Amino acid sequence: MPSSPLIMTSVTKRFGAFTAVDSLSLEVPDGQIIGFLGPNGAGKSTSLRMALGIMEPDSGEVELFGDKPNVRALQKVGFLPEERGLYKKMTARDTISHFARLKGLSAQDARARADELLGATGLEEFSRTRISKLSKGMAQKVQILSTLAHRPDFLILDEPFSGLDPVNQQALEDLIRTEHARGATILFSTHVMEHAERLCDRIIMMARGRKVLDGTLQEAFATLGQGARISVEAGFDLAAVLAPKGFEAIRTTDTGHGETWRIDLPPGREAQDALRAALEAGAPITGFAPEEARLRDVFVSLVGEADAAALAASLAEDEAA
Amino acid sequence: MRNILLIFRRDYLGYVKAWGFWLSLAAVPLLMIIGAALAGFAAQSSPVRYFAVVEPGSIYANAIEAEFQRREQADAERTSEIVEQLDLPAMGEDDARAAAEGAGVANRKFIAVPAPAESIDGLRPYLLGEKTVSGPLGDKPLFAALILAEDGSELEYWSDDVNVDQLRYLAQDAMLRLARRDALTEAGLDEDFLQTVDDAAFAVPARRIRTVEEQDAAGNEVTMADRAPMFVAGGLAYFLWLMVFSIIQYLLMGTIEERSNKIFDTLLTSVKLPELLAGKLLAVFAVTSTMMLSWGLFAFAGGTVVATQIPGVGNIIEPFAAALANPAIIVPGLISFILGYIMYGMIFMALGSLCDTIQEAQTLLSPMMILLMLPMFAIFIAFQDPGSPLVDIASWIPFFTPFLLILRMPHDPPLWEVLAQMGLMAAFALLILWLSTKVYRAGAVHGAGIGDMGGMLKRMVGLKGKAA
Repeated sequence: MPSSPLIMTSVTKRFGAFTAVDSLSLEVPDGQIIGFLGPNGAGKSTSLRMALGIMEPDSGEVELFGDKPNVRALQKVGFLPEERGLYKKMTARDTISHFARLKGLSAQDARARADELLGATGLEEFSRTRISKLSKGMAQKVQILSTLAHRPDFLILDEPFSGLDPVNQQALEDLIRTEHARGATILFSTHVMEHAERLCDRIIMMARGRKVLDGTLQEAFATLGQGARISVEAGFDLAAVLAPKGFEAIRTTDTGHGETWRIDLPPGREAQDALRAALEAGAPITGFAPEEARLRDVFVSLVGEADAAALAASLAEDEAA
Repeated sequence: MRNILLIFRRDYLGYVKAWGFWLSLAAVPLLMIIGAALAGFAAQSSPVRYFAVVEPGSIYANAIEAEFQRREQADAERTSEIVEQLDLPAMGEDDARAAAEGAGVANRKFIAVPAPAESIDGLRPYLLGEKTVSGPLGDKPLFAALILAEDGSELEYWSDDVNVDQLRYLAQDAMLRLARRDALTEAGLDEDFLQTVDDAAFAVPARRIRTVEEQDAAGNEVTMADRAPMFVAGGLAYFLWLMVFSIIQYLLMGTIEERSNKIFDTLLTSVKLPELLAGKLLAVFAVTSTMMLSWGLFAFAGGTVVATQIPGVGNIIEPFAAALANPAIIVPGLISFILGYIMYGMIFMALGSLCDTIQEAQTLLSPMMILLMLPMFAIFIAFQDPGSPLVDIASWIPFFTPFLLILRMPHDPPLWEVLAQMGLMAAFALLILWLSTKVYRAGAVHGAGIGDMGGMLKRMVGLKGKAA
């Protein structure tokens, strides 16, 4: 097996005048868990669909297991699309075994694997239940199991946590770790940075069709430097009062009642120095904490407030769903 | 090939497991049985009605009775001809005629009875059902009365139910024959003069021109073997049309279901798009074939039952079987059938991929029906006038070729025309395949909709797209 299941080189995809993916190059090393991060509309799904050959790039190269995406290479891939869909009149067992057979398993192996997966996830009693009769969460589980049924070498999961309740999100995280322990390489897209923080060896961040970061978590956090968080009452411009004192402040959240700012600490200055400067400037402080680095802050620092707002909107949409 | 079969298997089982499939499967034989039973019941249960003729003598009553007998004899002769064609060993021609004539009298639905009164006022309570008259089947109301007008110029037909007017038409025919007979007699001619004239006319028997060798072997009389190819070709063309007509719903609904279930991305990471389309097309073909095969088996079983009762049926079937086995008909027929099915099937599937809902699909059904009715008209014209230049010209239009080429084959069109039309049809089917695959990809992958035709066309030529 090649060392990188997926290599994309200068891949661009345009839809009319809109550039969905702009000169994207990335490599997914074998055996790693890669987080593909960015708000909705950043070009993640389009990139993944090009990686799988569902969609052709306008320019650039895609190599899946060392070749252009093809059915043989795709047999080693398990794909969970962002828009979930199953045949509603099929039973859970038939669904899993059907997709496993399409990936090359024999009829007997596919049925055995379906029984094994349904048993392992506590769904055996629903094995002969039609998808239309299952709850949304159960149907999503069946779809995830269909993705895993043929024991793929490479798992591509597009927004896998979307629509799952916290318990099932945790179960999915465990499943991803299990698949990784089995030896699978995993690439998953998400706009929920916390999942990536817990699971990923590497992350790739996208904004407006462009890659803005590609590295390990440590490399991502290193882009931030040390910092602190100060919350103030809404409407107070903390950046304006701290700038003359040598601190750069970026607003990270705005709840309507208050705002949280991330203060970038210059070398030799500490979090308390920033707090003191804010107090001296008369800031209406409601909260303070030395910074614990978060991927969201990395994203904000890399792409700016506009894309951070897009990310927040994605999260809000997800919660509403 | 494996993936095609897997897609085929899933779709096929999906269709045949649905209760609607079994309902459709059972509907046709059930309707046939119910229809036959109802027709039989209607024939058996049709009431026998009394009528009376009011006239000074019995001239008109006799003329009506003569007309009854003439019709019964004509029916008996038709039955006799069928018996002759079927070569029934158990019954001679004369026996059959006698049996049919006897049955005609027994099966009469109108029986003449003596008039209980001489005027319409006197007959009124009998005609309105207030009083009954006696007859061979007991006492019944009078259904109709035919009364000679006072001036003798017309025979009035009186009844409470003027919608049942078979008796009136029969009486009208009887009066016509009576008038002719009187006119002939007045002219000094015998009553059977017209029949003598008819008998003297030359017959114009049909003769099939063949080569001398063929004529020596098969003679020159026109038999069912000469007509069977046209019936077989017409049957094949109609069968293809029926098949295409039946698949619309399956292909549209099946594709809409997959689109609304958002399942394309999952499928397209396992199979190639052509494999997916081929599997789906095959599945729908198999579903409709299953239905038609089942109906065919039902008809065959029914035919076998009939054949055991009427031994000569085999003689009728033989020329049709021979026509069906004729390579000159069956080879172009099969090619037309396959290409026609692919052509129309792909169009419907591509259109289905643009629809999110059944309501959207319904907006497409009208143009589809028009598209499908045109070949039906063409089949009709071809059957009515097989040598029509209109059919020859229309058979060059690729949308009609699959139906009309089959229909032209019994008339031995020039070989170059057959080959050229098959080539054109194949090229057009490939074009449709290519275009439909593009449309399907635009609908399934890029999310193009029926309300987005402009954008979809641009996508087809790679000018525009929609973020996924």
